[in-house]
Amino acid sequence: MAVCVAVIAKENYPLYIRSVPTQNELKFHYTVHTSLDVVEEKVSAVGKALPDQRELYLGLLYPTEDYKVYGYVTNSKVKFVIVVDSSNTSLRDNEIRSMFRKLHSSFTDVMCNPFYNPGDTIQSKSFDSIVSAMMVQSS
Amino acid sequence: MAQCAQSVQEFVQDSFVPTVAVLCSADAERVTRRNNLSFPELLRPFCRLTSEGHLRDPNNLVVVVKGLRISVTGVNTQPLQPGEVRKLLSQAVSGCQPPEGLPANVVTAGDYDLNISDRSVKASVPWYSDWKDTFTQLSSSKFYTATTPWFEAYRENFLQSMPASDHEFLNHYLACMLVVSSREAAPTEQFQRLSQEQHRVQHSGEYTHPKWFIPNTLKYYVLLHDISDGDEQRADSVYEDMKQRYGTQCCYLLKINSRAAAAGPAEQMPDPWSQYLQKSRAQSPVSPEASDALSESHPLELDQTSNLGYPGNPSVAVNSIDTSRKQGGLPASSTPVAHGACLTLNDHDRIRQFIQEFTFRGLLPHIEKNIRQLNDQLVSRKGLSRSLFSATKKWFGGGKVPEKSIAELKNTAGLLYPPEAPELQIRKMADLCFLVQHYELAYSCYHTAKKDFLSDQAMLYAAGALEMAAMSAFLQSGAPRPYPAHYMETAIQTYRDVCKNMVLAERCALFSAEVLKSQVKYSEAAALLIKMTSEDSDLRSALLLEQAAHCFINMRSPMVRKFAFHMILSGHRFSKAGQKRHALRCYCQAMQVYKGKGWTLAEDHINFTIGRQSFTLRQPENAIAAFRHILINDSKQVATQQSAFLREYLYVYKSVSQSSSDVTLPQLPLPCLHSAQTRVFFGHERRLAEGEKQAATHVWLDQEYDGEQAQLWAELEEQVVGVANKGSVPIGFQPTQYCLSCHTDNLRYPLAVVEEPIIVEVVFRNPLKVPLALAELSLLWKFTPKDFSRPPGGVPGEALSNEKEAAVTALNDIISTEVIPEFTIGPEETKVARLQLLPHKTGELQVLSVLYSLGTVEEDNGTSEGSRTPSRPTFVRGRQDLEIQGPRLNTTKEEKTSVRHGPDHRLDPVITPPMPLLEVFFINFPTGLLCGEIRKAWVEFVNVSAVPLTGLRVASTHPEFFTFGCAASDLTPVTPTASEHCSAYKTMATPPSVAATMLVSPAMFGVSGDDRPTVAEIPLVGGGLGPGEALQIPLWLRGPDREGVHEINFLFYYESVEKNANHRVLRHKAFICASRSLSVRATACHSNTLPRRGGAEEEGGSSMLVFVDVENINTSEAGVREFHIVQVSSSSRQWRLHTCINPTGDRDSRLASRERGKLCFRATRCRTQEGETHARKYTFADLNLGNEQIVSSTTPCADFFFRRANHTRRQSLTPAGGADDGVTGVVQKCSEVELNIIVLWKAYVVEDNKQLILEGQLHVALQTVGKEACSVPQKEEAQEMVLLKFKPDQPPPVSRPTLEQLSRLIKTCLHYPESYDHPFPQKSLCMVPVTLTLSNCSLAQVDVIIDLRHKTTSPESLEVHGTFTWLGQTQYKLQLRPHEVQRLVLKACFFQAGVYNLGTPRVFAKMAQAGTMCETSQQSSMPALIVINSV
Repeated sequence: MAVCVAVIAKENYPLYIRSVPTQNELKFHYTVHTSLDVVEEKVSAVGKALPDQRELYLGLLYPTEDYKVYGYVTNSKVKFVIVVDSSNTSLRDNEIRSMFRKLHSSFTDVMCNPFYNPGDTIQSKSFDSIVSAMMVQSS
Repeated sequence: MAQCAQSVQEFVQDSFVPTVAVLCSADAERVTRRNNLSFPELLRPFCRLTSEGHLRDPNNLVVVVKGLRISVTGVNTQPLQPGEVRKLLSQAVSGCQPPEGLPANVVTAGDYDLNISDRSVKASVPWYSDWKDTFTQLSSSKFYTATTPWFEAYRENFLQSMPASDHEFLNHYLACMLVVSSREAAPTEQFQRLSQEQHRVQHSGEYTHPKWFIPNTLKYYVLLHDISDGDEQRADSVYEDMKQRYGTQCCYLLKINSRAAAAGPAEQMPDPWSQYLQKSRAQSPVSPEASDALSESHPLELDQTSNLGYPGNPSVAVNSIDTSRKQGGLPASSTPVAHGACLTLNDHDRIRQFIQEFTFRGLLPHIEKNIRQLNDQLVSRKGLSRSLFSATKKWFGGGKVPEKSIAELKNTAGLLYPPEAPELQIRKMADLCFLVQHYELAYSCYHTAKKDFLSDQAMLYAAGALEMAAMSAFLQSGAPRPYPAHYMETAIQTYRDVCKNMVLAERCALFSAEVLKSQVKYSEAAALLIKMTSEDSDLRSALLLEQAAHCFINMRSPMVRKFAFHMILSGHRFSKAGQKRHALRCYCQAMQVYKGKGWTLAEDHINFTIGRQSFTLRQPENAIAAFRHILINDSKQVATQQSAFLREYLYVYKSVSQSSSDVTLPQLPLPCLHSAQTRVFFGHERRLAEGEKQAATHVWLDQEYDGEQAQLWAELEEQVVGVANKGSVPIGFQPTQYCLSCHTDNLRYPLAVVEEPIIVEVVFRNPLKVPLALAELSLLWKFTPKDFSRPPGGVPGEALSNEKEAAVTALNDIISTEVIPEFTIGPEETKVARLQLLPHKTGELQVLSVLYSLGTVEEDNGTSEGSRTPSRPTFVRGRQDLEIQGPRLNTTKEEKTSVRHGPDHRLDPVITPPMPLLEVFFINFPTGLLCGEIRKAWVEFVNVSAVPLTGLRVASTHPEFFTFGCAASDLTPVTPTASEHCSAYKTMATPPSVAATMLVSPAMFGVSGDDRPTVAEIPLVGGGLGPGEALQIPLWLRGPDREGVHEINFLFYYESVEKNANHRVLRHKAFICASRSLSVRATACHSNTLPRRGGAEEEGGSSMLVFVDVENINTSEAGVREFHIVQVSSSSRQWRLHTCINPTGDRDSRLASRERGKLCFRATRCRTQEGETHARKYTFADLNLGNEQIVSSTTPCADFFFRRANHTRRQSLTPAGGADDGVTGVVQKCSEVELNIIVLWKAYVVEDNKQLILEGQLHVALQTVGKEACSVPQKEEAQEMVLLKFKPDQPPPVSRPTLEQLSRLIKTCLHYPESYDHPFPQKSLCMVPVTLTLSNCSLAQVDVIIDLRHKTTSPESLEVHGTFTWLGQTQYKLQLRPHEVQRLVLKACFFQAGVYNLGTPRVFAKMAQAGTMCETSQQSSMPALIVINSV
């Protein structure tokens, strides 16, 4: 379902980025990078009001010709971006939301690993498999 | 216009101006041609009115026309073909570049420079916030129009080249100037003819171009008078005539050319034409070289990298700058000659005056009149209300209208009204109002027209009306209504989707975006611009995307990444459009956002594109930098991609290096050089073995650095240097370092010797997934010759370097540089290269960098064989500097708080004059030995240098392992081969008998004092080795006493004959595997028997029994068959073995595996007188068990003994040192023996079906009587855990000699006949003489009391023995001197036959000096039985 899943550090460099191998990887990198502007915009718009009760899920960041880009920001300002094929109309907002939640919990597991150095790129098999599951499911 | 920032209002106004046609007679044309101008061109600079004009609208309100501009063009101007338009536009864009000279990464975005590169470097950590500030500051500070010059140029050209369309009249001709020269023969007729011509053009229908606004076009008659050669009178009269004919408002006499063209250029005249003519050329600051590059095709032929997403394969597009503009009579070949050469400033004023006159008197009244006319028509037709009504109805009528309209749209898109259609009249009026800046009226007219058109479903017209309605709404002063952006959107959509007219849509979008920007609606503007990008025009898409990107960055919260992304898209489109410079600029700007942010894939892509574009633009430095960047970083690209990058890099690099004449070689990025791991080795590469000879291991690069080992060697060297310097180590002593690495101390300049190689090991790492090939790898150095033989302070020679390729061979006689022809590094491999330098002169050398050619490894593809010839891979020459950072300093506070690094002089050796160089070879050097085995080996010393060496010494960690023999012994065979089957010992044929003795001083064996002789001087013939000389000397080895593998370090020290020269050392490390042989245990016992009279009277009296237990503990049953004990020798200062008292007859005792044998010996004290005088001398006594005596007092037996003895004594004697005085000492001394037993054995070993005889010796040091000593060092018992004690230990009790010890002071012995026959019947009393021998064992005087009265008290003894009595004196008091033996003759008296125990005398001993001490000793009497027989 997802064609690209990315985890971006607080400082806006990629911690993890993976896309469907058949697609053009570079393009997704560009897309994800560009979407950060929108994430920032949304966060700064929402963040002022009530920082505690901020909704982590940001919703659709922007649609491109072929893809929809969704965003999610953790409280520690780590961003998750999921790119979905626009042709896939069966996806509901709720499903995207649950994907993000799954991603977030897996990411938390990665962070809990005492051998993981925060700020390093994520190299975790379990995280990989979670992401693969998201990408495979209905693609 | 390019540089001036217009407001949006001005921009829109200037885009829609009244246009005036010009019809010129040939003569008039000739007049203006004198100024290199056509008539329209002549007027062009003066077309903007400086004063206000006025006109009245239909409601009689005065409209003020401010800053009106008119456009004057030749009537025969042809509209451009689409292809031409495209060419024109691309020229305009490519001709307009950001100012040269600025570095490429400085962003010139419209009116401001974003020095992003600076800021992003400075604020690298809290990066984004800083950026944001920068941008907000920049965007809030200046204009709203964020445009770039090339975009403005494009826009201007685009708008000018708009073809006149039927649905709007804005650029239709409103008036026509008819120009006739005053020199004409009949000017009036000429006017007539021109007027007719104009009429024909407008109304005949033959021409589709030009288009005219209104049927009755304003004709304006201009008489052009050339002042310099015309008749002014005539001109005036003609003008008068004209005024009468056409009315004053429609005529003008223009006088120009006040001076001759020949007037010198000295007079500085402004040239207002230049900026209007040949805009493209005037605006472009492009150097001719750069424009050449533009027109050149892409020379880079590469495999197109497949997955780059935005393939940058640029098709060669419109790049040539040939001005083929055919516009308004403008000559195709415009010369750079100054325009208006014949015009004075007065003439300029006249022209300005003329335009003003024309506009105010001619044009504006004409427009006013027409507006009134049209208004009247419209009002009379009262169509206004009708159309209003129907339109409203249609618009709001019902839900089905949109569908219907969509369906109809398609049909009606091409709808054309006839020119005189009433619907067009209102549009015409609106356009007129718009042109004279009456926007209110224009808006209402457009609005009405729009409704009309919509109701007719004339979509093109409607779109036009919508567009203009929006524009006029925007331009209305005071803004009574908001800008209707949706009008614009609808218009664009209609133009694009319905009418398929991209040009109009584009124009509309340009205006709309401009307006939106002016209203700070950047995101809308960006969206609009992005929407306008399409596949049909790359140039437009590129420009619009760039503008959109600028919009993103100008937003209130700038969207940097969107900016960057759209810049990339724009760059891509630019490159597709052939605008390489712009493409490069775009990518560079985008790069600033992506740089160093971890988005490596994107970064690599941008870098790659930048590299390519830079290369095609002949900016090779940038190209190389960009490619370099891709390669240096740990790229995550796949291997094929990397290899493509690499090949492209090499290609670019090669072409650059070929073209440039730069002397210094550039730095190469690949492979990575780990400078810190560089190692430097001074000296030759060692031959490790040469036949039988085994070279000293010394130091070599293959050896890993080991801190402990280094420490060990340094200590050894310090020892040997201390010995060489007579006991003191020089203050500045530094251990010699042959191999410098990051672990060694590199603070001082290392010393290298001339004619000895310097080997530098560099570590390369290939970060790529493709193999790299290096060729002609060598070192780059700098050398300053210096003669060290001359006094210091001399002028150092000129520094030389082998940097220049040509000089390499020439410099080989100073320093030969080794070149490795080929060196391949596999993918992601780390590899070392060893490069050698051989200096031939003394001086100071600096190794600077590594020189090599970098290339790719050709893969052997099966497919390539047929088609491609196997070409040599591209190689480029370059260097990489070896920059080694020294260790971090951490001593002072300042150094601790800051990060400072010390110097590292690893690579800066000083080449010193020749030094001796020693090579050491070992011959017959074993690897395995039995414990205690003696083996003779040979060592060869070779001086391979041209300088004599001297002072050869060796230091070792195991001095007991080897000996070179003492100087006195020279009986050994001279060559190693001769000695092969001989015993290592010196032997003499002697039958076994009493031990032969020999006195030897330890000093003979180089042992002095108690020091462990770690340093041994090596006896050299003549004290040194001459150049090239070799010397073989024997070396004895003795297997270590402990089994196992032993690491034995030898450090050979030698020095030059010259004074002040440094010493040198040579290291050798040997491994010896020792296996178990024999275990010898020995015990010494006091013997009670005194030496017999006569036999050994002079021996001093006391003797001992020595029991030697020998056990074969060898475990390798296969190898060693049996051991023979050949000889037992003793060595001591006080004792010697005397005889063998072994009971068995088996003298040559053999021991098979696990067998055990016992030997008994009697030892006697050495002669005291000799012992006194030569206290330091040892007595060696040999007791051979076979027929061959080994002289143990010579080399090698004694050597090893002394080395061994020292070793053990030091260990054992230290604790007993304190108890020397007093009784205890004396008493202890008494029981001390210092007897060393040397057991010499032979082992029969079968090896390869050959029997070998091995020899060896084992040492046992007997120290105390009765205490067993062992040859095999006892394993120290593992220290048990000691309980932690909190109370201090009780002080040890004052050591008092125990009874047992005291009892040994005096030895007693009864001498009597064993049996005595006595005739009791004859004589009842039997008297037997008994001799009691007392001997003092101690070194002190002893008082002895002998009491004979004592009776055995035990009842058993009474039973067994009968009673007897001693006769005579019953108590004796004696004093015994040290070692004195006294005999007492006693008499025992027996009464009957029987067995008696004579051992009843009690002996009490007391130290003579220790007066207070009462007698303490009781001689435990042993039973001494005597048998008395009765005869």
